[in-house]
Amino acid sequence: MRFSTSVFFLTAVATARAAENQSDIFFREKVQPILTQHCFKCHSHGEKMKGNLLVDSRDALITGGDTGPAIVPGDPAKSLLIEAINYKNTELQMPPKGEKLKDAQIATLTQWVKLGAPWPAMPGQKMQSRPRGKISDADRQWWAFRPVAKVEPPAISAQSSVLSAQKNGTSGVEQWARSTNPIDRFILAKLDAAKLRPAPTAPRAALIRRVYFDLTGLPPKPEEAAAFAADMSPGAYSKLVDRLLASPRYGEHWARHWLDLVRYAESDGFRADDYRPNAWRYRDYVIASLNSDKPYDRFVQEQIAGDELWPDTPDARIATGYLTLGIYEYNNRDAAGQWMNMLNDITDTTADVFMGMGVQCARCHDHKFDPILQKDYFRLQAFFAPVRLFQEAEVASPEQRKSYDKKYSAWAAKTAHIREKIAHIEDPIRARSEKEAVKKFPPETQALIAKPTAERTPYEQQIVDLAWRQVSYEYQDKRFDARVKEPAKTRRNTLLAELNKFRADKPEPLPRAPIATDVGPTASPVVIPKKKALGEIAPGFLTVLDEAPAKIEPLQNSTGRRSALARWLTQPENPLTARVIVNRVWQFHFGHGLAVNASDFGTLGEKPSHPELLDWLAQWFVENGWSLKKLNRLIVTSATYMQSATNPIAAQAKLADPENRLLWHIPTRRLDAEQIRDAALTVTGEITSADGGPSAEPDRHVRSIYTKFRRNNRDPVLEVFDEPDGFLSMSRRNTTTTPTQSLLMMNSKWTLDRAKAFATRLKKENSSDEREILTDAFRLCHGHDPNAATLGAALKFLDQQAKEIGGGFGDSDAASFIADKMQTREGRAAQLVPESGQERLVIPHDTAFPRGDFTIEAFVNVKSVYPTGAVRTIVSKWDGNKGHPGWSLGVTGMGSRNKPQTLVLQLCGDRPSRTGDPVEAVFSGLHIDIGKPYFVAITVDLDNATEKGITFYAKDLTNDDEPMQSVQIAHSVTGGIANESPLVIGGVGTGNSSLFDGLVDDVRLSDTALKNEELLFTSPSPGEHTMGYWKFEAAPNPYADSSGHGHDITAEKQKGKVKDPRFAALVDFCHILLNSNEFLYLD
Amino acid sequence: MDNSSSFCGRREQAFTRRDFLQSAGAGFGALALLDLLKDSALAAPQSINPLAPKKPHFAPKAKSVIFLFMEGGPSHMDTFDPKPLLHELAGKPIPPSFGRVITAMGEFDSPILASKRQWAQHGKGGLWVSDWLPHIATCADDIAVLRGCWGDGINHSAGVCQMNTGSILAGRPSLGAWTSYGLGSENQNLPAFVVMQDNASSVVNGPRNWGGGFMPAVYQGTRITASSEPIPNLNTPAGISDAQQRGKLDFLNTLNREHAATRQLQTELDARIASYELAFRMQAEAPEAVDMTKESDETKKLYGIDAKETAEFGKMCLLSRRLVERGVRFVQLYSGAGSKWDAHTKIEANHSKLCHATDKPIAGLLKDLKSHGLLDSTLVIWGGEFGRTPQSEKGDGRDHNPTGFTMWMAGGGVRGGQTIGSTDEVGLHAVEQRMHVHDIHATILWLMGLDNMDLVYKYKGRPERPTLNEGGPYKKIAG
Repeated sequence: MRFSTSVFFLTAVATARAAENQSDIFFREKVQPILTQHCFKCHSHGEKMKGNLLVDSRDALITGGDTGPAIVPGDPAKSLLIEAINYKNTELQMPPKGEKLKDAQIATLTQWVKLGAPWPAMPGQKMQSRPRGKISDADRQWWAFRPVAKVEPPAISAQSSVLSAQKNGTSGVEQWARSTNPIDRFILAKLDAAKLRPAPTAPRAALIRRVYFDLTGLPPKPEEAAAFAADMSPGAYSKLVDRLLASPRYGEHWARHWLDLVRYAESDGFRADDYRPNAWRYRDYVIASLNSDKPYDRFVQEQIAGDELWPDTPDARIATGYLTLGIYEYNNRDAAGQWMNMLNDITDTTADVFMGMGVQCARCHDHKFDPILQKDYFRLQAFFAPVRLFQEAEVASPEQRKSYDKKYSAWAAKTAHIREKIAHIEDPIRARSEKEAVKKFPPETQALIAKPTAERTPYEQQIVDLAWRQVSYEYQDKRFDARVKEPAKTRRNTLLAELNKFRADKPEPLPRAPIATDVGPTASPVVIPKKKALGEIAPGFLTVLDEAPAKIEPLQNSTGRRSALARWLTQPENPLTARVIVNRVWQFHFGHGLAVNASDFGTLGEKPSHPELLDWLAQWFVENGWSLKKLNRLIVTSATYMQSATNPIAAQAKLADPENRLLWHIPTRRLDAEQIRDAALTVTGEITSADGGPSAEPDRHVRSIYTKFRRNNRDPVLEVFDEPDGFLSMSRRNTTTTPTQSLLMMNSKWTLDRAKAFATRLKKENSSDEREILTDAFRLCHGHDPNAATLGAALKFLDQQAKEIGGGFGDSDAASFIADKMQTREGRAAQLVPESGQERLVIPHDTAFPRGDFTIEAFVNVKSVYPTGAVRTIVSKWDGNKGHPGWSLGVTGMGSRNKPQTLVLQLCGDRPSRTGDPVEAVFSGLHIDIGKPYFVAITVDLDNATEKGITFYAKDLTNDDEPMQSVQIAHSVTGGIANESPLVIGGVGTGNSSLFDGLVDDVRLSDTALKNEELLFTSPSPGEHTMGYWKFEAAPNPYADSSGHGHDITAEKQKGKVKDPRFAALVDFCHILLNSNEFLYLD
Repeated sequence: MDNSSSFCGRREQAFTRRDFLQSAGAGFGALALLDLLKDSALAAPQSINPLAPKKPHFAPKAKSVIFLFMEGGPSHMDTFDPKPLLHELAGKPIPPSFGRVITAMGEFDSPILASKRQWAQHGKGGLWVSDWLPHIATCADDIAVLRGCWGDGINHSAGVCQMNTGSILAGRPSLGAWTSYGLGSENQNLPAFVVMQDNASSVVNGPRNWGGGFMPAVYQGTRITASSEPIPNLNTPAGISDAQQRGKLDFLNTLNREHAATRQLQTELDARIASYELAFRMQAEAPEAVDMTKESDETKKLYGIDAKETAEFGKMCLLSRRLVERGVRFVQLYSGAGSKWDAHTKIEANHSKLCHATDKPIAGLLKDLKSHGLLDSTLVIWGGEFGRTPQSEKGDGRDHNPTGFTMWMAGGGVRGGQTIGSTDEVGLHAVEQRMHVHDIHATILWLMGLDNMDLVYKYKGRPERPTLNEGGPYKKIAG
């Protein structure tokens, strides 16, 4: 998204604002509220006119009342108004009866008079004090509420700067003189009026880079840039634009703009921040809609009411995922309160996104500045009041469903006997869990849950839905497992293992997505809080636009309310919808909209800089089938868009139009977060294409839009460059410049890894000629060849760096340690990946290590388990030989003979009856989700073979409310496990068959079976029994044992490899290019 | 390593390189108007740096804040708000006259749990403090206890979110961010708003608790640790020599200056060049700020750093003093990060341990601030996201209670030794001098010299305020 305001620049913008504008804002925000709140009751039209004084226009104040003029502009000392509010004169005290204004308010009014009492618009124009609940004619005259005007592009004036420039032979603006693009004529007319000349057309290298990033979010390939630079045919640019608009990368980039607006994220955003595994379907829907250039009116209709309008089209139902994107707290016994918040969120967001109207203020009172009544807020909310939100529901096509059903019934028939037995065990436990969960709700909610479904009102059903979402959470896999106790547990596990044998016969689950429908054909009544006497509020639009209640056509299973809203929003006459979207598209290209506040067209937003152009575009857009691609095409092929970032008349233009509202040049803008990450991965050659589907972890090299977006745990690279957090609709991103960014770009492992990959690519793809390599690097990063001086400086840099680096050793051990952040944990965790060079971490045996009882604890995030029954090892002290003593703690694979994805302890030692397998596997049954952080522990009192001997612990860290699960299992190995093998994190011995895949953090070994309260989870410090405690932090070094026993991890040496100084220097060079402003900014 | 020259080698250079006003091109008329407007919230600050110190709305009493956040919700009835009636009612259901509330775990009808604490009055003001906090009790005359606090969040996520941002729903800037925005920072080489926590578990909701919400990220809190790398990515990566790093930065400067030279219109490019310098200065100053080796053993003892149980929080408290001394505006310390104060069961064991871990360090902080002459200008705040219920949970714990709980403030112009407000006889509801979280925030801002209604940030063109247009300061806290 284009937005040129950095935080450093923010204040400069304020400084630079035109004086006139500044005083308008000062009046509207500071002065007007004081007058309306404290003076109008007695001194305004339509209310009272005490002392014959009116304060609702500048003229009226100057005229004054019985005591004379109220103000003398420029002279507070002579202004009665100022005297009165200061309470200096006991005869003249306003507001009366001790309601004296605050000091700050008095200062504001004084300052305002001193400034000459600026009053925006006509000085004689009255400021309306809107009678409560009423809309005035003046309100209807606000530009955004007036019908879109039919306007013709102005003709080029004979005095136009571009014509005279052409005559004078000033080059660069010829394109304007011959432009047939109507946009240019609107822009030029204003520039001419301000006596400004547009900038010359941008150099081709800058232009191709600009249009590539704007349309696809990615940089051009050097060969594409070169071909474009060479192609001087008249249609070259136009062809390029068509190609980019047709690229699938277009939708991936523009979807991000839309996702910002609809506060898209893939997690709940509350304490649990539960991941929403199917949220991506909405993301893919947006991408596909944009790529297919779905008409915007249809795009809007689908998101608001796709389920009602196209119930048989899976895509239209997925579109209603829009309504489900808000935050959700699973642990909230106040279901009614939460439901109200969710409805408010949908109401606020819808008004922001589709109508460009901030309605939140009207939730509690009539809007203070805009003609939005409190009633309007609830009229709008009434469209959504009957909605029912599903975290997940099937969105299969009829064909998919048919084939699924067929396969499923075959599987079901084969497994009926097993499932019946499982159900027999599970059903009573589930019923018990439900009962316990329901008991936590207040009695009223419990009563609703107890009520038969048929007797519930629609509202009651909605509350029960929300409460039930929490109840059913209680018996999801992981919680349920813990509830199944012996002997049922063993029986169930055996049955589950048996059922698991049929998994090949089971059909793939049908596609599921978060969607919305209505709760039924009857809507829940909407009343204004604290104004219940007003009765039920019927759905309706903003009164200022349409006073009548909306016409609703009920459907069989749905109220039809949202369809009515969708139709109203997308009727061509709606003055807001088309204006709002074309203004947004404009903003994404130019950094600011024609109307600056893209989500607020009310009076707090400024008036559009080019109102005629905005209306012309809105009308053109509707006439052209609401096509976003056509609109994009129109904009990027305008001379306005193709301007350079610099203008020879800049000095003059800056004075006349410091904010560049008239568009006399294209601002140099920083890339957005996703563009930076995607561009880095593109130039390094690492980017892999993905065509949608479930999101990947951010460490994968797919485009940013395909990575997981968790509200409470964001990707540090995207976050630091102002990616929004997904809580509120974001119409324009902040663009900040912070030292934190610089530190990340200079020192983080992420950037260093990119630099290495970049250098490797350059070496691979070029000859050994360094000039060629460096030139290629510049082309990739900056989009053009370096000039001779820059290339010279780069070569010199290589020499210097190579000399500095010398023939030193390679990366130090500490630097090569692979670490990452574990979700919900601070600091670093070790990343263990099979075949990565960091498969396992080895701590040499020490005689002090426990020989019998022990406790091993760790924080883990398992990325995968084996598809077979093999175990992913967390920690072991064992060489893996079945005849040798030892132990190993791990997670079972999918084909486990017990249960997949559960904690297991393998013991090899003295077993009373040494029959069969010498290794005893103690299965905990504790389930471990893939990709989720856990605290896990096992305490072993070896000679106690009863259930008291071994305790497993597992704690889901994404949810603090989730109790620590623990389970105790009897075992038979009671001794003889002592051995001389090293302690191995992430594997067993040196074998390659039981490796861990994922993150491990804070591993602690103790020489006794710790008690619950002594566990690392609650006491994160070394204790008296601690024999080793490994935290993997950078300081003092990731291999250090922080328990003070010196049991450091053996660093896997980089074989003392001597660094190739020339290559290391090239890595440095690549690193700097990735840091350079020319890479991070766009002209 | 010689920090003073390792980053850019330009430590002495002024922060702004061009005349930003000129380069932003404000017309003379605009400047004149801005001069007239300079006292209003709309006036542009003198400097282009958003964290440059800004003038408060009125004379402040406090310059800095240290917010001691007991995460998970400490029990007010076992610390600062004695309730003798709990002994009489122990084991019985709560009388219906106290009114029904929704509790997080549905424990409303569980029997009342008596407090096992011994209570005594302390200081000239006779402040009640339980035997769990003997050291804090010795500072009673510096402390104003607010017993009538209440909020809206019945669970941790909502409660912690509201105590930080004013709203139970995410998305708004934190109080520290508002303060940085409103007042800037006295020290440009350290973050204006700093957060520390006592263990590696994430604070509920994660870093968004100290986030900037819809404000630019420059105002958000920075988490620091007392290590050789107090701020993430602060240090030159291992394996890269100082000379190598310096060479890289010099080359970057060459490229960036060449780029900026032809793009004079974009001041942001200068800002980015400057941000590398700022990073460098941070690299020089932050390790020194967190280096406690120069503190005397006596000081360390004062904070309990010499004892295992109190060392962790003691270090954080001592660091807070060092940061405040260096002009950091807002410091937030989390005790029990990851809801460790959340005593749904075994409150005796849970609170004994956490009170012990924090009591001496907090008292040490108050005393040390005082002896350094910093207490007058430093507002110290103690509290959690809510309190706990008089009813028991699982026999020996207590559920969440946002309808009535205790916080305290000290220093920063607060008159110590006073008890403000009260809860009902069982500690369920705040009844007298009720202070909603918005009032608490307004009071903190007021002590900092900011009016909660005049502190405005425009988001999407609309005025947003730190207390969501509600609440007001309790000015009597100052005297």
